[in-house]
Amino acid sequence: MREFRYERPATVAEAIRAVAHDPEADFLAGGTTEVDLMKDGVFHPDLLVDITRLPLRGVRRNGTMLQVGALTTMEELAADRTLMERAPFVVEALLRGASVQLRNMATIGGNLLQRTRCRYFRDPAVPACNKREPGTGCEAVNSVARMHAILGASPACIALHASDVAVPLSALDAVVHIQSEEGERLVPLTQFYLMPGETPDRENVLRHGELITAVDIPLPPEGTRSIYLKIRDRASYEFALASAAVAVIMDGPVIKEARVAMGGVGTIPWRGFEAEEVLREAPATPDTFRSAADGTIRDPFVVPGTAFKVELAKRTLIRALTEVTS
Amino acid sequence: MTTIQQPRILGAGVDRVDGPLKVTGQARYPNDVNLPGMAYAAVVRSTIPSGRITRIDTTAAGKSPGVLEVITHENADHLGEAPATFIKNPQPPLQDDVIRYYGQYVAVVVADTQQNATAAAGLIEVDYDRHEAILDPHDPRAERIKDPWGEDTAWGDVRTALKRAPVMIDQTYTTSENTNNPLGLFTTLASWDGDTLTLHDSNQWPNMIQQVVAAMFGLPRDAVRVLTPFVGGGFGAGLRCWSHIPLAVMAARHVGRPVKLELTRPEMFTGLGHRTSSINWIRLGATRDGRLTAIEHESLTTLPLDGDEYEPCSSVSTWSYASPNVTARDQQVRLNIPWTNFMRAPGDAQGNFALESAIDELAWEVGLDPLEIRLLNYAEVDPKTGRPWSSNALRQCLEVGAQRFGWSNRNPEIGSMRDGHELVGYGVAGVSFFWYQQPCSATVIVRGDGSAYIRSAVTDIGTGTYTIMAQLAAGLLGLEVDQVEMQLGDSSMPVGTAAGGSGLTAALGSAVHDACGRLIKKFVELAGTDPFSPLADVPFGDVEVSEGRLFRKGEPTRGESLARILAVHGLTELSAESTSTPNSADQMGMTPAGARGARFVEVRVDEDLGRVRVARIVTVNDGGRILNEKLARSQILGGTVGGVGMALFEDTVTDKDTGRIANATFGDYLIPVNADIPDVHVEFVGEPDAFNPIGVKGVGEIGLVGVAAAIANGIFHATGKRMRSLPITMDAVMD
Repeated sequence: MREFRYERPATVAEAIRAVAHDPEADFLAGGTTEVDLMKDGVFHPDLLVDITRLPLRGVRRNGTMLQVGALTTMEELAADRTLMERAPFVVEALLRGASVQLRNMATIGGNLLQRTRCRYFRDPAVPACNKREPGTGCEAVNSVARMHAILGASPACIALHASDVAVPLSALDAVVHIQSEEGERLVPLTQFYLMPGETPDRENVLRHGELITAVDIPLPPEGTRSIYLKIRDRASYEFALASAAVAVIMDGPVIKEARVAMGGVGTIPWRGFEAEEVLREAPATPDTFRSAADGTIRDPFVVPGTAFKVELAKRTLIRALTEVTS
Repeated sequence: MTTIQQPRILGAGVDRVDGPLKVTGQARYPNDVNLPGMAYAAVVRSTIPSGRITRIDTTAAGKSPGVLEVITHENADHLGEAPATFIKNPQPPLQDDVIRYYGQYVAVVVADTQQNATAAAGLIEVDYDRHEAILDPHDPRAERIKDPWGEDTAWGDVRTALKRAPVMIDQTYTTSENTNNPLGLFTTLASWDGDTLTLHDSNQWPNMIQQVVAAMFGLPRDAVRVLTPFVGGGFGAGLRCWSHIPLAVMAARHVGRPVKLELTRPEMFTGLGHRTSSINWIRLGATRDGRLTAIEHESLTTLPLDGDEYEPCSSVSTWSYASPNVTARDQQVRLNIPWTNFMRAPGDAQGNFALESAIDELAWEVGLDPLEIRLLNYAEVDPKTGRPWSSNALRQCLEVGAQRFGWSNRNPEIGSMRDGHELVGYGVAGVSFFWYQQPCSATVIVRGDGSAYIRSAVTDIGTGTYTIMAQLAAGLLGLEVDQVEMQLGDSSMPVGTAAGGSGLTAALGSAVHDACGRLIKKFVELAGTDPFSPLADVPFGDVEVSEGRLFRKGEPTRGESLARILAVHGLTELSAESTSTPNSADQMGMTPAGARGARFVEVRVDEDLGRVRVARIVTVNDGGRILNEKLARSQILGGTVGGVGMALFEDTVTDKDTGRIANATFGDYLIPVNADIPDVHVEFVGEPDAFNPIGVKGVGEIGLVGVAAAIANGIFHATGKRMRSLPITMDAVMD
C-alpha cells in the first residue's frame, strides 16, 4: 500500500501550520477530487490534513452579502433560501453540478479547487501532461479532445476548469477569503484563477499552506433575474460542454445591467466582461445577444474535437440571454 | 402428454426466484467469495500498442510490503494452447515479450492485500522497443480478411438489378466502438488443491472456462471446477476465457495460496473485449413505388492481431426484407487494438442501423410512409431459401407498435412538428434478429418429498434463467414454482451452453422440457410395476400431471403423488437427464426466424443547440412464447437503454498514436442515465415458435437492435438531416 500520514487538527491555525511546513501535504475536505486523484495515482501526498471538523461550515447573511464557510457542502448551500430568492442561478449551478451523493460530500472551498477532468491529466500512464508533470508537453492537444477548453487554452494545455458553481460566482464577483500563517487576504474570484500560460500546473493564486476559509457572495439587487444553462451530451451526471450564467436587471425591453460568465469553455471560469458591456443599456434582441456572444467567445484556441464548441458556446449564451430576458 | 398446448404466449410474470438473495446481498458473486489464506493479484498493462519488451524491472515491486510474487514473461509458466470454443480464446498471457495492443498484460503481482498488490504493480518498470502500430481501419498496411466465416451470401443478380432500378440508395453508415461494461467487475478466484483447481469466476459459460483452463494448464477437464452461480452482467463480455483468468490460476500455483484477481474498471475496457466499430456500405434498388429489387450490403469490422470475432453485420440484409437480388459480404481488418468481442446483438446491432437507415432513406426518396415501406417489403417467406418461417410476426410488431405510438398523428413533412425550441420527429425501425442455439444438458430430479430440483452448468447472467426454468419445470411436473429449486453455474453439473446469443432459453428450456417428459415417463413406468398403484394399467399417453400427482386423464381421483411413488419403491429421488440439440432447418422444412420487432421513437431536437432528446419509445417484439412477461420485459427495457446508449452516447475512444483507450472510466465513457430514458412501452406479439418444443425465441438481445436506427430516422423527420454515423452527438446535428 502507498502509505501517507493523516492528521485532523482542531483549529484552523494548526491545520494551516501542518500543511505549510510539509511541502508534500494536502488539505482534505470532502475528498471528491483529492481521494479520486490519489486512487488514480496522480496525487501522492505524504500527509493529508483533514479539515472537515474545523468551524468553517455554514451560511451567514451579512447585509447584501452571503458569507459561505468553505466547508459548507454543495447541498447545504443549494438549500439556502436567500440564495434561492436572490440568485437562483447559483442554486441551479450547484444542483446541476453533481449528484446528490457528491453534493453531500463536496464543499464550496473544494469545489473552487476541483481539478480538471482532462483524461490525459488523470491517467499517469500518459507521459505528456504539463499540468501533472511540468515541461512534458500536452497529449490532449494531439489526441481526442471534446471536454476541453477553447478559451485561455494554448498548445501547452487545453484542460478545462470543470466547476459549475464557480461560473455564477464569477459573474457575481464573489470574493475568496484566504488564510495563511501570515494572516488573511481577500481575492475576487475573477482574479483567483490563473491562465495556464507556460505553467499549467499553477491553477490559482493559492500558495502552499494557504487555506480558503470562506467565500463571500454579493447578493444582486432584488428584481434581478438569473439563469444557469448547462449543455451536455447526456441529461444529467456530466460536466458541461458549454454553460452560461447570466443575471440581468431589466428596464422594460432594455437590459439595465448584466452579469455574464461561461463554463465548459475556459481553462478558468470565463467571465464575459465584453458581453456585459454589449448588454448594458441595450435592447433585449437577438442582435444584441449575438454581439454579446461574439464578444465573449473571442480568439478561441481549438483542436479538431473542440471546434464545434465555439458556435455551441455562443448559442448557449444566446439561449440563456433569450430565456432570462423574456 | 407434456407438450405445451397453451395458445397464449405470455407466461406469468412471477418475480425472480433469486430476487430476495440479490437484494439482501446474499447472492455470492465471484468477487464476494473469500477463502482462507487468500492472496490478491494486480495486473500491469502495456503502455504501447506494438513492439517488444526490452527490459522489465521487478526489483522494487518484489521488495514492496506484502508482496509474495511477481510474474512476468521471464518467469511465467509455459502454458498450453487455448482451444477455440465456437470462437477463439486469447492465447495464454506472459508467454513472450511481444506487445500487440495497449493494455496487454505484461506482469501480475501477488500480495497479502489488494492495496499492497496494486501499489507494487505501480513500481514495475518496463522498457519497450516500440514498433509502428496499425490503428486505423483504412491503413493500407493492415491485413484484411475477406469472407471471414464463409458466410458471404448472394442470390439473384444484384449488379444488373441495381443498374436497372428506377430508384437507388447508395450510402455509407458507420458505428463506433462500444464497451460492454457489465457492472460487476470481472473476478477470478483461483484455488488449487493438489492437481485440482477450483475457480470462482465471472463469465457467461462455465464449461467453456473449464475447457480452456484445463487445456492451458494440462489438466483433465474434470480436474477444473468453475463456479459462477451469479455474475454481475455480461452483455457478451463473458463469452471468452480472457487472459486474467489464466493469470490468476498461474499466480495461485506460484504462491501456493488461493489468489483473487478482480479487474478494475479501466482494466475492464481493455481486458474483456469490446464491440467493433463498423463501416457499412449499402445500396438499395427499388421500384418507384418502393418495392425492393436489390440489396447490397458490405461491412468492414475490426479484429485484434491475434484473435477472431464473429460479427457479420451484413447478414441482417439477407433475412429482413423480401428482395429478389441480394449480396451480403463482410470483411475484417486486423489492428493493434484490444480484442473485439461479442456485445449484445453483435453484428445485428450495427447492420440493422445501416439497413434500417437505408430503408428509411428509400422511403423518403419514393415518397412513402416509412412504416408503409417496411410493411410493403415484408418477407412472407425466407427470401434466401423460399422456406416458410418458423414464425414471423414482424408485420404485427409494426402494426401494433404504430397503433400504440400514434404513428397516424405524424405529419410527414420534415420539421413540421415543433414544440418551443424543439423540433419533433417520429422514427421507426424494423428488426429481424438472428437465431442461434447450441446443445445443452440438464438433469431434473424429483425428491422424496415431491419437490424437484434442476441441475445444469449454465449460468444466469441476470436475465432470469433461474426463474423461467423453474416456471417451465413446475408447469411440466405439476408443481408450484417454489417447489422447484434451480442449481446452476457449476461446471461439474450437466454440460451447459453459453448464456449468450439469445439462445440459452431455447437450449436449456428444450433440455428441461425433454428431461421432465422423460422423468414423468419413468414415474409412470415405476408405478406400472406396482400392481396396487391406481396407475398400474394406465398407458403413458393417458397420464396427466397436476399438483404433484399423476392421474389418469379425466379421472383426477385415479392417481397418486410423485412422492408416494418414490416412497412405495423405497427411492429417495428419481432423475432424468436430457441434452437438447438444435433442430435443423432442412429436417424441419422451415427457417428458424429468430425474434422480430419494431421500434417507434419520438425525438426532440433542439434546433439551435443540436441536442437530441428521446421523448418516448414504443418497442414491440415477437419473442415466440414468452415464459415470464415481467422478466422478458426487463430484457427488452435493458436492451432499449443500451440502444439509446449506442445511438447517442457510447463511443470507446482510442488515441490515434498510442492505441490507448482514452475514456476508460464511467466518468468519460457515457452511458445513458435515468434522465436520458423516457417512458418505454414494451409489448409482445406473435405466437409460439414452431422450431423448438417450448416455442421460444430468445429476447436477451433484440431489445437493443433497431433503437439507433429509429432515433436517427426520427432526427431526419425532425430536421431533414440524415445521421449516418453513431453515436449521434450535438455537434453532428447542429448546423
